[in-house]
Amino acid sequence: MRIASHSYTDSMLNQYNQLASQQYALQNQVATGLRVQAPSDDPRAMQNTLADLANQATQTQYTANIATLQTRATSVDGVLQSLQTISSRAGEIATSAGSATNSQADLTNYADEVNSLINQVVNAANTKDPSTGKYLFGGTASGSAPFTTTTDASGNVTGVTYNGNSSVNQAQIGAGMTASADIPGANTSGTGPRGLITDSASGADFLNHLISLRNNLNAGNKTAITNTDSANLAKDENNIAYQVANNGVMQNHLTAAATFATTSSQSLSQMISNSSSADLMTTMVQLNKAQTSYQAALQSGAKIMQLSLLNYIQ
Amino acid sequence: MLGLFGTLNLAARSLQTQMTGVEVAGQNLANINTPGYSRQVVNIAASPDITTTVGSEGTGAEVTGIQQIVSSLLNAQIQSQGSTSGYWNAQQTTLQNAQNGLNEFLNGSGATSSTNAAGASTTDSGLSGQLTSLFNAFSSLAASPSTSSQQAVIGAAQQLATTFNQISTQLGSARTAANMSLTSDVASANTLLSDIATLNKQIGTAQFAGGTANDLLDQREQDLENLSKLTSFTTSTGANGAVNINIGGAALVSGNTVNDTLATYDPGNGNLLVQTATGGQPVILTGGSMQGTIAARDGELATMQTNVDSLASNLVTAVNTIQNSGYNSAGGTGNTFFTGTNAATIGVNAVLVNNPSLIQISNSATNTGDSSLALQISQLATATQSGLNNQTFGDYYGTTVAGLGDALSKANTEVANQTAVTNMLTTQRGSISGVNTDEEMTNLMTFQRAYQASAQVVTTVNAMIADVLAMKV
Repeated sequence: MRIASHSYTDSMLNQYNQLASQQYALQNQVATGLRVQAPSDDPRAMQNTLADLANQATQTQYTANIATLQTRATSVDGVLQSLQTISSRAGEIATSAGSATNSQADLTNYADEVNSLINQVVNAANTKDPSTGKYLFGGTASGSAPFTTTTDASGNVTGVTYNGNSSVNQAQIGAGMTASADIPGANTSGTGPRGLITDSASGADFLNHLISLRNNLNAGNKTAITNTDSANLAKDENNIAYQVANNGVMQNHLTAAATFATTSSQSLSQMISNSSSADLMTTMVQLNKAQTSYQAALQSGAKIMQLSLLNYIQ
Repeated sequence: MLGLFGTLNLAARSLQTQMTGVEVAGQNLANINTPGYSRQVVNIAASPDITTTVGSEGTGAEVTGIQQIVSSLLNAQIQSQGSTSGYWNAQQTTLQNAQNGLNEFLNGSGATSSTNAAGASTTDSGLSGQLTSLFNAFSSLAASPSTSSQQAVIGAAQQLATTFNQISTQLGSARTAANMSLTSDVASANTLLSDIATLNKQIGTAQFAGGTANDLLDQREQDLENLSKLTSFTTSTGANGAVNINIGGAALVSGNTVNDTLATYDPGNGNLLVQTATGGQPVILTGGSMQGTIAARDGELATMQTNVDSLASNLVTAVNTIQNSGYNSAGGTGNTFFTGTNAATIGVNAVLVNNPSLIQISNSATNTGDSSLALQISQLATATQSGLNNQTFGDYYGTTVAGLGDALSKANTEVANQTAVTNMLTTQRGSISGVNTDEEMTNLMTFQRAYQASAQVVTTVNAMIADVLAMKV
């Protein structure tokens, strides 16, 4: 085939451009570690990567939500532990006070202790979440103190009002999975999450039962203490034990969800890498190949350009 | 017999003939790098014989013409190819602008997300990540309804709205750039049409006198090739070899006359089209950069704009429907979350920006600590939207991005393919019409030697004439 002289230069320029373009793309892949950077590089891989990145960010959010709930569950657990101690002590007092050997003075001393326990319970039930500053046991009406009390002239609590509600906030901890570490202070509806202090389903009404115990102690009504208060306080103790167990179950649930979110995130990392990352070894080999081709093209071009009939005629 | 003077004339004619050969070789070598130049060859034939008593006797050689070596078939193929290349190049440019405007790229480094094989982490720079950030901010607010979470939601929403606004502006700029490109192409085409008509006239004049107009033909061929990159057209041959040009049903050049020129017009939607300037007849373009620009602008670019607007509009409606039904932490209501209706106008309600605590995420005026609506909004991330082809926000956007990627990827492939075809055709044409240095140098030597030989004939005959004149009788 007859070759025009400018065909050499045109062809060489095209080849140089192509090889330079290949080298640029491959070098860019090596430098960034990414095979796909723009949608046009690989539209399907880009689409998958965007979906995977979004999913991964969501998994990270689940992990953050779980951490928030775990912190709250830990705070709740601290309150539950102290309530359990108080409940246990109240049960002991009820049992001891029923003994025939106790004098009225003994019962009055017990009543004073129960007064103290009542105040401790009110304080515990009005604990705030340290991270949000909101009340832990007010349900979703957590703007004001969940439990307010009425007192007599001596400062003893004579009545308790619950200002919260029986709802709790849910947080997303996984795909289609929500959880709550909150416990409403009271639930008198018989359905939904059990109340911490008052719960109609389990018969718990801790503060009122403590007030009743104190009143019966002051009145020396050992029969009522033995027959009614002990049984009621047992219900309260059971309810608190249930909440402790439930909190433990929740914490385990959160730990499992956190593990799942972390595993999912790692798996998504792999998928993102598979879709969009450059295989470093293959890319380096391709880059070397392109460099060799470029060098060969430059050398052969330089040699061919030097030759013509003019080199041989005088 | 020619005799001494006849032979001298023969040698002189030969000198002129060989000189013309040298001139043509020189012309070819001079134009070796001239774009569109077709090599020329000198046609030499033996001069008419004369009849003598001993039979026919030659009278030497003479130039019968200087011929341009062209392949009409290849020229036609290159013109056709020019339209296809121009179409895809224009598509590539407009779609590249759209891709840049969307700004959805993966980065090889960043503080979050996954780690790839090279050890860098992968993040995305565009709307996708910010959409997820907004839903995640609501998720965080649901889990921990605090002031800082409320501020985070407003921050994420503002960033998302700004990105929507920027994309809308960038896509609008891409559309403006496409219109400007079309206007510029139309102006270039008009100049070429005028040049071609002028060349038709000059070629006709030159050939009418029996001459050749090789260089003018090359210029016209070059103009036709340049025009083919702008738009496809059909040609017909008129009187005196004139090329008549018809673009999309409009006969724009007839012989030496430009009947009409092209002009852009706005059909009412801001997307310029092409019509004849005087006749006002819409021109149906089928190839070239003009049609490529129009196709990309009215196709994928318009789809992008529509989809991004649709995404913004559905997001505004979905978030506002939930948020507006709720109550803020003081039990108040009445503040919408997003303002605006599309990507250009979406924004976050200034009242909420100034006071994030007014976000309405409670399901009741009394349950002021409730965050169930924030949870509902965060769950929009995985909810399909009837207004988005029953896809989630993220999936719909991902499909849009992939659609643009497909279109640009196809344009890139076509540009590469068409470049290869153009190069092949150009090389083929070069093998016929291009100048080869070695060949021309060989021709130069051939003519030079023949010239030297003819000069030797002149010298010999001259000596013979001198001998004759010196004879003494």
